[in-house]
Amino acid sequence: MAVIGTAFPDPPQIHRIPQSKYVDAVRWLPQFSAFDRFVVLALFDSSSDSPSSIEIHSLDTQAVTLSPQSTWAPPSRVSSLKTSQTRGRKPLIAAGTVSGSLHLLLANSVDASLESEFSVSEEELHVGRVSCVDVMEGGGECVSVGEDGRVNLASVTGSELSFRRFFDSQGLVSYTSAKWASPAEFVTGGYGFSLQWWDQRKPGGAASQLKGNWARGMSGIVQSIDIHPSRKHTCLAGGSLGTVFAWDLRWQQQPIILSGIGGGEDGTHPACESEVWEVQYDRHTNSTNTGNISSSRVLPAMICSEDGILAVVGQDAEPIELLAEPCAINSFDIDRENPSDVICSLEWESIVLLTRP
Amino acid sequence: MLGFSSAPADGASSTGDLVPFSSEARATAVCPLHHGLKPPISRLSISWARGNSLRVSFFRRPSGDDSEGDEFGGKVLEVRLSGGDGDGDMSDAQFRRIAYGSVSPFALLQSRRNSAASLSKISSPYHVEWWEYVMEYSKDINSLLGDPKSLTSPAIEDPKAVLQKAEEPICLKAAWDVMEIFYADKQSQSWLPERLVDWLAAYDGLLSSTQATIHSQLVSFQKELVALQVIEDSPKYWEVLSAALAVGWLDVVVKMLRLHGSYQLDQIGNRETENGLVEAVAVLISKMPRLRPELEAGRLGECYRAKPDFVKAWEKWRAHITKLDCSAYWVRCDHNQTREGLRNMLQIMLGNTNSLCTATCHWMELYIAHFLYIRPFTAGLESMYSLAQKCMQLKPMTISHRLIRLLLGIIGDNTEVVLAECSRAFGPWMVAHAIELLASGSDQAETLLREEHYNLGGISIEELHRLVYAQVLSSDALTWQIAPIYLTSCIKQGMGLLEILLSKQPVQDVQILLKVIEICRLYELDSVSSNIMKIAGVYHWKHGRKGSGVFWLQQARDEVRLNRIAQQLFDFVGQSISDESFKQWEGLIELLGAESKTAGGLEFLHKYRDFKKFLKQVNNGKTTDAARQAVESLISLMKNPSTPRQFWLPILYDSLKLLSWQERPLLNVSETNLLLNKLQELSMAKLRPDFIEANLPPQALGSVRLALATNLGRAIVEE
Repeated sequence: MAVIGTAFPDPPQIHRIPQSKYVDAVRWLPQFSAFDRFVVLALFDSSSDSPSSIEIHSLDTQAVTLSPQSTWAPPSRVSSLKTSQTRGRKPLIAAGTVSGSLHLLLANSVDASLESEFSVSEEELHVGRVSCVDVMEGGGECVSVGEDGRVNLASVTGSELSFRRFFDSQGLVSYTSAKWASPAEFVTGGYGFSLQWWDQRKPGGAASQLKGNWARGMSGIVQSIDIHPSRKHTCLAGGSLGTVFAWDLRWQQQPIILSGIGGGEDGTHPACESEVWEVQYDRHTNSTNTGNISSSRVLPAMICSEDGILAVVGQDAEPIELLAEPCAINSFDIDRENPSDVICSLEWESIVLLTRP
Repeated sequence: MLGFSSAPADGASSTGDLVPFSSEARATAVCPLHHGLKPPISRLSISWARGNSLRVSFFRRPSGDDSEGDEFGGKVLEVRLSGGDGDGDMSDAQFRRIAYGSVSPFALLQSRRNSAASLSKISSPYHVEWWEYVMEYSKDINSLLGDPKSLTSPAIEDPKAVLQKAEEPICLKAAWDVMEIFYADKQSQSWLPERLVDWLAAYDGLLSSTQATIHSQLVSFQKELVALQVIEDSPKYWEVLSAALAVGWLDVVVKMLRLHGSYQLDQIGNRETENGLVEAVAVLISKMPRLRPELEAGRLGECYRAKPDFVKAWEKWRAHITKLDCSAYWVRCDHNQTREGLRNMLQIMLGNTNSLCTATCHWMELYIAHFLYIRPFTAGLESMYSLAQKCMQLKPMTISHRLIRLLLGIIGDNTEVVLAECSRAFGPWMVAHAIELLASGSDQAETLLREEHYNLGGISIEELHRLVYAQVLSSDALTWQIAPIYLTSCIKQGMGLLEILLSKQPVQDVQILLKVIEICRLYELDSVSSNIMKIAGVYHWKHGRKGSGVFWLQQARDEVRLNRIAQQLFDFVGQSISDESFKQWEGLIELLGAESKTAGGLEFLHKYRDFKKFLKQVNNGKTTDAARQAVESLISLMKNPSTPRQFWLPILYDSLKLLSWQERPLLNVSETNLLLNKLQELSMAKLRPDFIEANLPPQALGSVRLALATNLGRAIVEE
């Protein structure tokens, strides 16, 4: 029974689904029918013979239970997991591992069973862990970055996954996150709150980069990046010390701080104080229309953090806390088709499903 | 040294052994390890790893030829020795779920204790509401251990299902429950016997693993029930009825009575009297007065809060039973089994010791029967204990179950025994958390648990058990993060062990590293966190990830190491930096920033990059403005003491064009003198053995000197 006209939004419905393994990452699988919902989990269990697995579970929204549909064992623990769709509307899962390999899994668009798998083995692609992978909308190309300073672009040609090294910093710079901005451009982030804008048409180095040391002596790591399809000039980033900021290519010198260091001058409180593990633009906007917001304003963003906060932060606005857990929230994903639904993975081996009214 | 004997090794030695040892008797467990290395393995090392696992390291003999292409020099495996000795009815994942869930209640109780203690320094922190906090804590923990009533009951009830289906309870919950009843729940102290009735009703099934119980009788009868045609003819039916009645499972009893054949429509006519008697007993049972505030839905009996009311009702109820017992209707009951069975049930309700003794399976059940039908007012541990002794004599148990041992410790009012039983039978989790209940039980217990003991190295029993539990948590890669909560509640040893725990975490994984640093931030362990960051910095540096290495050393403000790696970096720069490769360096230089505070000697790189940039502009456009900027940058580089000497000549050689600028001299007299002095210094340094020769043409020094001299001349003229 919703009360109409109240100033406070209804609290979201929260369902906890305990797991018996550590959840490295969780993603929605793009949906093909309105009735079947699937989520992808990257799990880790050191006591098992095959410790890491990528599992597709179907979600029963009535009973709020997950039941495994199919599973695939990567050669080592998954360090980055993303989902997307191919042009033929096939669900696509991209995973990078701690040993440096990259895997693309194609799922059946009806029952989400795994159909084919493409891999680039370790040693070839990255030395050491893959920090982040990102698949272009439509599944055309996949970017992978690592601590080793390599930026690779991989795509499926014929029956195999081929890759080319777009850049190699030889370890002088380590990259921790990546996100496509357009079919030609992508953004990477790394140590020292740095962001690099890359353009495939300008090889040999970053087309543009955010000046280091903008954060007045405070420094940290960019953990996650997001770019809104309607604001391709603005890059949203989150990382250490509860920092969430937006870097607008048109005003390159100083980023706009949404939360964390330097924030709070206008009286708003930071959403959290510890590592922000993931940021995503919040597509669930019930009161304001995206089109109405001036293009220089940053759209509201959802974050999850080491100190157990899931919140929505906006420019010059108090953060809205959706969840405050006693343990870290390591990843979350907003459902593309139903942006009111958010799924997150907690440090203490469980999944939380959040449904906003 | 045991096992050594002086007898000659000719077979007689077997008699001379101090410790009998037979190599054949024990079956050896063979566990194949897949290390994936090609033979030959030259060395094997085995050591304890974390927790219950062994670390086995294999080393290959380095082979001369690399043609095989395998670069493994060795491999380290961790072998988990499966601990089947713990709580048998719990999986590792289930244990971890309980461990995660108990963190918040524990932390909340600790913070409440701290704030209570700081609020009232003079008076005891245990003011009136303290036990309510403990109770809240206990309820939170209890809910983690499973909810036996969580299973949804089917929509259509099976009339023959006498036992309700429920989630199998675990011993840990039974143990926690009994502790809660005696120590935490002060409100229920007045109706303790009834709480124990409920406890046995919930957990009697757990005791059946070692002996026959009423629960196991019921379970087996439930199976037979379907096949039984005339239920009242079966002696087992009456046995089970009186057994269930004896321990007060009234709803089960009444339900079973109503299965009696006389209720069937076709028989009710000629078995009217019999049916009347059965119903009379059923009604009496459901009207039994109970000394308790309330009953759960579905449970039978009439509750009385106050003792006088209860006594009145109890006397009246017993009078009804006696009246029924003496009734004339029994003679008119034709069915022998029914008559005998029902009268036996009346005897049970009247508290006939013999009937109770026959009906129950072990002393605990008899004990409960006593509370229900003979001594409903039993209060105080002393009388409870003497009653238990009496029951044990009447119905001894062959094997003592861990729950029974715990209960005996509790009613025996012996804190040490309770503690020992908790620890032995239920493990470190139980002890660490149950101590809160124990300590709130009585002042003596609290003193015993919280005072410092000399023989424990000056820590309290409470702290000891928390440390032990924290150790268990630390040994698992999934639970180590909650160990700090328990360690920080230990005043004496906690922080020291926390520092060790944090320092032992692997720094290779950046995610774990950040989690460790976050814990350091929470507990203000700045020195630990800076140490860990230093280790991480050196680790990344050594593995060729120069950027991450520099970042972590900067975060740790480790100028010593930054300066040291600066030297290596400069050598690398000397070889690799060219106008084209600047793109690669760009990121690292941005990371370093321009402030010397955070970069140590590395700030040079920042200035050098700027200089190169200006120089490039000069080469492209040749504007005097750009040239002037380049000169400023050159002077500031040469003035800066952190600019390494090996770069002086290359920098000057790069700026030849600036030094001999066509339009007008760009450097004034004093600037030119500064550069000449540097050049002089360089020539002197050339004689020293540690001088590094720059990779430049041999005439470089000469041409720089010439250009400077010319510039000096022009500058003097101009001034």
